[in-house]
Amino acid sequence: MSAKFEKELQHLVSNNVISEAVSKNISEYYASQKIDSPNKLFTIFGVLGSVLVGLGIVLILAHNWDGFSRTVKTIWAFIPLVIGQLFTGFVILKKKSAAWKETAAAFLFFAIGASISLVSQIYNIPGSMPSFLLTWIVLAAPLIYLLRSHTATLLHLIFATSYACNLGYFNEAIPWAYLAMLAWILPFYYNQIQKNPDANITGIYHWFICLSLIISLGSFISGSELFGFLIYILLFGLFYNLGKLPFFDTSKLRANAYLLTGSLGMVFILMVSSFHWFWEEGSMSRYGNVEIALALVLGLATIGVILYLFKRKKMNEFNLFQYAAPIFAIVYLLPISDKFIPVILINILTFALGVFAIRIGVKRARYSILNYGMLIIATLIACRFFDTEISFVIRGLLFVGIGIGFFATNYFMYKKQKQLSNE
Amino acid sequence: MNKLAITIGFLVMVAAQWYVPGSMIWEQERTLTEGTPYKFKTRPVDPNDPFRGKYIVMRYEIDSYAFKDSIPEFSREEMYVYIKEGKDGFAEVAEVSATPLQTDWDYVKVSDAYIIGKEIHFDLPFDRFYMEESKAYPAEVAVRNALRQPDSLAPVCYGLVYIKGETAVLDNVFIGDINIKEFVENQDED
Repeated sequence: MSAKFEKELQHLVSNNVISEAVSKNISEYYASQKIDSPNKLFTIFGVLGSVLVGLGIVLILAHNWDGFSRTVKTIWAFIPLVIGQLFTGFVILKKKSAAWKETAAAFLFFAIGASISLVSQIYNIPGSMPSFLLTWIVLAAPLIYLLRSHTATLLHLIFATSYACNLGYFNEAIPWAYLAMLAWILPFYYNQIQKNPDANITGIYHWFICLSLIISLGSFISGSELFGFLIYILLFGLFYNLGKLPFFDTSKLRANAYLLTGSLGMVFILMVSSFHWFWEEGSMSRYGNVEIALALVLGLATIGVILYLFKRKKMNEFNLFQYAAPIFAIVYLLPISDKFIPVILINILTFALGVFAIRIGVKRARYSILNYGMLIIATLIACRFFDTEISFVIRGLLFVGIGIGFFATNYFMYKKQKQLSNE
Repeated sequence: MNKLAITIGFLVMVAAQWYVPGSMIWEQERTLTEGTPYKFKTRPVDPNDPFRGKYIVMRYEIDSYAFKDSIPEFSREEMYVYIKEGKDGFAEVAEVSATPLQTDWDYVKVSDAYIIGKEIHFDLPFDRFYMEESKAYPAEVAVRNALRQPDSLAPVCYGLVYIKGETAVLDNVFIGDINIKEFVENQDED
């Protein structure tokens, strides 16, 4: 417990706000809550230490010690691997604590990389970066379940994302193995959400999986240009709706990565597509079977999640954000030759989302959501600043209006909160 | 998970982690001891790999083959480049085919080949030679300088490659009669 808190307790006792006994009880309660925190710290330092040592070994071996014979170098290739395996075996056999497991997992993960990279180096094996990463990931994958290690899972995700980017971006190849890598961790992830839905690490998993999917999706569709925007907004729409599932919605807002990335992603794509050039060039977009299949799967999954929410009676309150991606898809696919119609429709949709966010913010008395809505509208108007022929005076007046709107709504909210607290 | 499943899983994982690098070593060693050596004329350049260290990329003189008659069956995924030893002692292309041929020639599999006119273009796969990090760039410079001399004085730069079955191992790179590591070290002494 912090000295400041102790001082505060003494202050409360001296002013007769709480009794000496209550103060003691509070102190004891917080002391008992702190018991496992040194262990957490030990885990974090253990993992950081292992990651650094592991990376260090990889780099030292990458130097290429040409003074050693091929045999000596080959033996060196196996030394970190053997140490890592013995360490892991010891941790499993002796059923050591989480801190030991995480440390062993991090070390063995990098020892595997060091081993295969040194063998490649000794024999000048040409293999490309994706095939090298794939071998590494597959060999390290069992660590996730054998040690039930968060470090191994997060490293697996980072390397899987890196594999997808290396193989798929600026290339015709499609990283299908990435999907298998993602599927491999799903049972572990599901178990984690079931057992510890509110733990910090579960929130970290949400963020890692969301970001990994957002980054990797592009590697499946690179080259399809603007059709990619449709696929991305469908992914964000799916994320937003997933974030509304009771499964994720119970957690703190900052841990609900699906809702946050979904909402921000949709707004970003709507902003981009609110420009006229988007629809002019969009008509020339190329796409193949993979892109169509992706759009269909994501679109159907979104509809599936919305129907599920209806069934579970979680859609009592209308929320435009949940339908924004399907609406965008309908506008995108409308067989209209006049490119101004989709531009107008998207601008109306984006504006409506801004208004909607303000409404949610006011209803729930949340400044963050209210200002998010204001920001959406302000950004939309700023975007129109660049591609419309409206006179400077009107544009200026619009900005002044929005600025006054910011002040007025925040002031209104402040008054409302004050009134509520007085009641 | 019960204890037996974890133990078996752990042992399988350890075995796989040994098997992959072990089989890589075994295949390469077998090629180096039992394979046929060929000298491929080349010219190196110096890139970097974040995990495996510095290497020089080999630009081999063998990078195309002109078909004599009509262009045979072609596959972008996989072509067989048959190698034989030329009169000058260096490797040359005997034949290129999309399917394996009944012949004693050794072959190298190449991917991403393309055809222009009657010529097929490809990159030989054994194009990386890992070097100690401080020597990779000097090696490139040294070779460039050595090859700048008049033709009669310029040494030949070649990669010594062992081929057996589908495996080809780049064993060493030579400039004239000296291997590239010693060549760079000698340059430093000069």
